[in-house]
Amino acid sequence: MNDENRPSEAELHAYVDGALNDEDHDRVEAWLAQNPDAAEEVAGWMADSEALRAAFAPYERTAPGDARLIFEARHPAPVSARRPFALAAAAVVIFALGAVGGYALPRIIAPAPNPVVAIDALPSESRNAFLVYASEKRHPVEVYADDETHLASWLGKRLALDNLKVPNLKPQGFKLVGGRLVPVAGEAGAMFMYENDTGERLTVLIGKSRENRETSFRFASLGGVETFYWLDQEIGCAVSGEISSDTLRQVAEAVYRQLPV
Amino acid sequence: MSRSPDAPKTSRERVAPQPLSFEDEFLSLLPQLRRYARSLTRSAPESEDLLQDCVEKALVNRAAWQGTNLKAWACRIMTNLHLNTRRFARRRPTVAIEEAEAATMATTDDPLARGRLLQAVESLAPEARTVLMLVVVEGYSYREVADILNIPEGTVMSRLSRARQSLRDKMRAENIIPLRRLR
Repeated sequence: MNDENRPSEAELHAYVDGALNDEDHDRVEAWLAQNPDAAEEVAGWMADSEALRAAFAPYERTAPGDARLIFEARHPAPVSARRPFALAAAAVVIFALGAVGGYALPRIIAPAPNPVVAIDALPSESRNAFLVYASEKRHPVEVYADDETHLASWLGKRLALDNLKVPNLKPQGFKLVGGRLVPVAGEAGAMFMYENDTGERLTVLIGKSRENRETSFRFASLGGVETFYWLDQEIGCAVSGEISSDTLRQVAEAVYRQLPV
Repeated sequence: MSRSPDAPKTSRERVAPQPLSFEDEFLSLLPQLRRYARSLTRSAPESEDLLQDCVEKALVNRAAWQGTNLKAWACRIMTNLHLNTRRFARRRPTVAIEEAEAATMATTDDPLARGRLLQAVESLAPEARTVLMLVVVEGYSYREVADILNIPEGTVMSRLSRARQSLRDKMRAENIIPLRRLR
């Protein structure tokens, strides 16, 4: 304690991390030899460091999809390509339809495979809904905020979501404008629109997800429109707006907390 | 996939050897970035998501790369992506460390001790954890970590110290690592 040779804590860490020059290293080592308590602490740090390196070292490896990861990211178009199984399954379906329908139907009208990848479709659908409806002056929504109860029960019925509530975003500074029925991934979906004091708008898009899983929150930014989206069991949700991603993130968080699962 | 680097082998005049393309260089970094991703996240699937997001972001923003150390730049992108999503993740249920994953680990360590270590790591604040991993696992100097995270070196030190302390407390409480003395 009253040791004026005592190395600083930063020096002790630098000792552990091999960041001292020889002279300082020897000085710290000599001091530790005289101070068993500190030496014990430092030895613990070293042991932890070794254990961490050993624990994560096996992950430094290549994976079969690495090259694809790089070159796909450059051409982010084919959504289904990220899901080889879905793609293969779709191919099988098309082939089967083609084979079965081959007698009666021209191949060309075999139905296109349903775009099953709801999560990947969400950001663009949400962005499009925002771009189309948020700029609408006269009829941005079908049902206005003064009829919120009806809005919620109507859309809840169409989406087959019991107790769908319209998220309250007042704490984030956005009041409800209203909502409308919109197609989401080819099915009935709900869109709610909000507006703040300065007239900035954002939209919340809710669709049914067939994937029945949870994802982390994801973020997409396209042409000035920011979108946060996620899957939560049976619903997929996306929040879009031309506002700062920070604000939008708070909104997304608030929506996530309020939506029924 | 669509392009293979040595596809157009025409016999025109000799071309000077090309420096590694951005993509090639990035590809060669993926193993290390995979390790870093795993050291920040709770599970292998989560880390693959993070890695993929990082690759996408890096390639979209490649124009912003100053030509300095590519790995450090990628680590910076990944760290920011991760810290952003972690703010949400706190509201999400914690995924238990996967048993299967632990079982396939090719370490000679006691798997039980490793599981406890990872559990202790989970208890770290995300900001402290990134510093710890960059220093200990990725081997960056304090100065480099400060540059990657765009924070003062003093903050690197305090986060490192907090991370080590909290890890030690957890490990001591679990009574895992036998205390040993330096010679």
